[in-house]
Amino acid sequence: MKRDLLVLKNISFEYESDKEILSEINLSLKEGEIIGILGPSGIGKSSLLRLITGLEKPKTGEIFYNNETLCGEKIFVPPNKRGIGLVLQEKALFPHLNSLENVKFGLRGSKASKEAQAIKFLKLLKAEKFAKTYPNSLSGGEQQRVAIARALAPEPKTVLLDEPFSSLDTDLRRDLRNDTRDLFKETNTSSIIVTHELEEAKVFCDRIYKLENANIEEIF
Amino acid sequence: MKNINVLSTLLALSIFTNFVFLSEVNIYTSRHYDSDVMLYESFTELTGIKVNIISSKSQALIERLRSEGSNSPADIFITVDAGNLWKAQNYGLFRRINSKKINEIVPKNLRGENNEWIALAKRSRVIFYNKDIYSKADLQGLSYKDLSSPKWKNKIAIRSSNNLYNQSLVASMIAKYGESYTENWAKGLVENFARKPQGNDRAQIIAVANNEADLAIANSYYLGLMLSGKKGEKQLNAGKKVSILFPSQNEEGAHINISGAGIIKSSKNYDNAIKFLEFMLSEQAQKHLVENTYEYPINKNVEPSALISQFGLNFKENISKVSEFGKFNSAALKLMDRVGWQ
Amino acid sequence: MALLNQLLKNMFRFAPLIFLIILITPLVLVLLSLFGEYNDNWNHLYNYVLPNYVVNSILLILGVSVLSTILGVGTAWLMTNFDFANKSWLEWAVILPLAVPPYILAYTFTGLFDSYGSANELVKTLFTLDENYAFFPNVRNIFGAIIVFAFTLYPYIYLTTRMAFINQSRSLIEAGKLLGFNNWALFFRLAVPLVRPALIAGLALVIMETLSDFGAVEHFAVQTFTTGIFRTWFGMYDLNTAMQLSSILMIFIVFFILIERYERNRMSFTYAGSTFKKTSKKKLRGFKSLCAFVFCFSPLFIGFILPIIELTNWAIFYPSEYFFSMNILNSLFNTATMGLIAGIICTIFALFINFLNRFGGGNFLKLSSQFLSLGYALPGLVLAVGIIQFFSLIDNNFSKYFLGFSLVGSLLGLLLAYIIKAYALANNTIESGFQRISNSIDDVSLSLNGSKLKIFYKVHMPLMKTSIFTSLLLVISEVIKELPATLILRPFNFDTLAVTTYIYAAEERMYEAASPAIMIVLTGLIPIIFLSQLIRDSRPGKS
Repeated sequence: MKRDLLVLKNISFEYESDKEILSEINLSLKEGEIIGILGPSGIGKSSLLRLITGLEKPKTGEIFYNNETLCGEKIFVPPNKRGIGLVLQEKALFPHLNSLENVKFGLRGSKASKEAQAIKFLKLLKAEKFAKTYPNSLSGGEQQRVAIARALAPEPKTVLLDEPFSSLDTDLRRDLRNDTRDLFKETNTSSIIVTHELEEAKVFCDRIYKLENANIEEIF
Repeated sequence: MKNINVLSTLLALSIFTNFVFLSEVNIYTSRHYDSDVMLYESFTELTGIKVNIISSKSQALIERLRSEGSNSPADIFITVDAGNLWKAQNYGLFRRINSKKINEIVPKNLRGENNEWIALAKRSRVIFYNKDIYSKADLQGLSYKDLSSPKWKNKIAIRSSNNLYNQSLVASMIAKYGESYTENWAKGLVENFARKPQGNDRAQIIAVANNEADLAIANSYYLGLMLSGKKGEKQLNAGKKVSILFPSQNEEGAHINISGAGIIKSSKNYDNAIKFLEFMLSEQAQKHLVENTYEYPINKNVEPSALISQFGLNFKENISKVSEFGKFNSAALKLMDRVGWQ
Repeated sequence: MALLNQLLKNMFRFAPLIFLIILITPLVLVLLSLFGEYNDNWNHLYNYVLPNYVVNSILLILGVSVLSTILGVGTAWLMTNFDFANKSWLEWAVILPLAVPPYILAYTFTGLFDSYGSANELVKTLFTLDENYAFFPNVRNIFGAIIVFAFTLYPYIYLTTRMAFINQSRSLIEAGKLLGFNNWALFFRLAVPLVRPALIAGLALVIMETLSDFGAVEHFAVQTFTTGIFRTWFGMYDLNTAMQLSSILMIFIVFFILIERYERNRMSFTYAGSTFKKTSKKKLRGFKSLCAFVFCFSPLFIGFILPIIELTNWAIFYPSEYFFSMNILNSLFNTATMGLIAGIICTIFALFINFLNRFGGGNFLKLSSQFLSLGYALPGLVLAVGIIQFFSLIDNNFSKYFLGFSLVGSLLGLLLAYIIKAYALANNTIESGFQRISNSIDDVSLSLNGSKLKIFYKVHMPLMKTSIFTSLLLVISEVIKELPATLILRPFNFDTLAVTTYIYAAEERMYEAASPAIMIVLTGLIPIIFLSQLIRDSRPGKS
């Protein structure tokens, strides 16, 4: 029985507007598992991911990860210390660095080892062709590959993906989806993916949650 | 109904006065005393001639006059320091001033060689000392030459060589003693500086009042201004602590410089310009001038202000031609650069 | 109808060119002196003073660049990423020093920190010290000058880098955090490189303004190129050599401009497509909040509050009847009018030029536009002479027959000087604004059958509203502060506030200088307040 890697307990969250986006959410992610979070746009899926990574603070509730408390009564671990990767919806590639340098950005170690690691992941995402290209010359799909490579290169235990395939057409989408899933499974990386397409979630994920009216329920 | 009457009267009056004031004189001046404005107004009252003014730095005005050439609307150029007048003269900007009245009042050494310009007021570049430290007797007979002697090391305050008054002083030394002697003298003087040249003339006088230096070299009228109280309490108090020594009384006499004016060659109001200059030399105008600026008058019938007279009136003046200052100005500047007078 | 269209099209193509030629000619006339005679004053210059000018200028540039970058980027970074005590008003107040021209800060500095200045007097009274004791170090040197320039000019850097920080998608920083970097690391590894183009743009403005100043360096007795030019011109009566020196200064500036261009081209990524996320800024508390506050408040204090205090100090000592004299109100009116006219012309012109450039206006247009930006760096006085010579040429050959009045000494000359001087400000602002509009927007609009002109009116202009307004305000600001060119070129009975201040202060009649100086600062505040409003409206989270 795989252990629970990430646990959300009674998480509530609201924007300044006082309207509760998430209400007493409970969620768990097992090691090596890929789960999906479904729901229409604007419902708070991204917020959920941001809470997990520490980019936002919940109103109430706790988050446990790898047997440690990330977020609780008196504890809040900042995002740069959580070791959880996130591929943002806007991709957010650093415009002043080329693809290779983008992927190298989060790596530590010697120059040679960073270079090797970065190239390895670019190859895995089939993006090595444009290693020296700058983001503003890449298509949406190409940027997406680089963004994923960048998040994966530090080899975090967990990677969150926010609508990662949305800017792609069907064929590309399918290819990238398969490549990514294979990669996750190969490396035993746990993942949460946010999407609004049920079919895609069914293909990509082991389990699916649905977010509706600030509440979440498992549907698959 | 009544309002329309008033309005039309005013309108008529303004048109009328415009015609009355069609006669005018245009002046470029580097003097910027508010009290001068009153003088111009008196002139207009007296003669009906309207006075138009542009005031700016002398050099800027000279450049403008040069560039404007015969298109210039200027009639008169007023400036301080004979060096500036010489420069303007050298550019061919002036027209000969033909006025018996003026020639009678202004001595020859205070006019251009061919009456290209005339002095309107005098000032002397003198030595200021702190009354608590020195008495007049202590400094009796002190000359400009003495200032380079090592006995005054770190004791002299004077402003930057950028300033024209200093350049004219050095120019006059070159004219009298030659460049080689003057360079040695300047070298010694620089070594006697109490501090790196900074601030204007008044700052040097204040330095002496505050014991930051023993002697200051500055223009005479500043003490009058400080003692008048018009510049605030700090300056008044500082002024009370110092006194003036007229240098070189046993030799060539104290260095004299002037505020002066010339008529522009292309002037279209020559007669008005002459009238204006004659007015400026009249007793009424001279009195007003010196009472407000504490310079020395040109008109012999007028006494300088009491505030400045108290330090000495009949001191020996250097009567060499002030027109020499301009001639040697360039050499003076280069000399000051060479000896490191900043 | 078609004929009219054709006419308009051609006019749009040629009018900017003609304007450019008019504006460039005075600069060219100055540069031409390099090809004239070199007299033997050069020997003297070379041996005795030129090295000083060069060394001091370099020191000034280095010192001012470092200090103003720390102040400008530091405050911009803190304000865009954190919340701390008093930040809400500090955010816009921090640009107030822009209202204080360097020469006014210089005058107040000496009034405060000279050995018998008010600051020292205060310390002496408070601590009952010896009369001859001076607590504050002497400011009349190059260090004083560096501080003056850095503290009045850092807002340029604050403005440009702040815009860049904000436009930086918040997600870039978040991506950085997710990759394991803390705030300090992110600042140096990410934020700074990303704002480098903006930083360099702001720095270029700062350096140009520093090198072309005369009032402050003269007051502090620092020998630089500008004081050297003045000295050569007026002391050695050598306009020719002075013009040659000015040309050298111009070449110096060109060097910086080239560096700036190179940098900007290297990173020509557009910031388009950034989504503002409503992310909470990190709240600082306690000691950290205090530190942030002090860091952001100090430049405001030194660059604005302190001089105001000293100016008010002087004004109190001076009889109040002169404070609002007719003379000063006239100056005020003149200053405001000229500022507005110059601002409008500069902005319109910059819009045209940059718009044409955007669609490949050709090299001549691009080059001359950049060449014109040099006008900013030209010492006002030499600019004035260039204009007078230009106008005299026209007057002697043309106006007499066709115009009936002479150009020399008319308001046109002054206006031309302001336009040449301030064009760089308008151009930089408008250019940055255009850069923020993604080229793909143009492509889309063109493909939707819009003519280029239509794009300009319907797409660019609305998107450029902020930049247009900023450009206007910056030009007005510049005109208010401009001094040397105004001194020479102004017509009869036409003074501006700057001229009135300078005339008093140059004689160290400080008390009388207080009134016009305060007015310069106050009128300078009005555009600044509008600018600050723009800042408030551009806070992250508001789209």
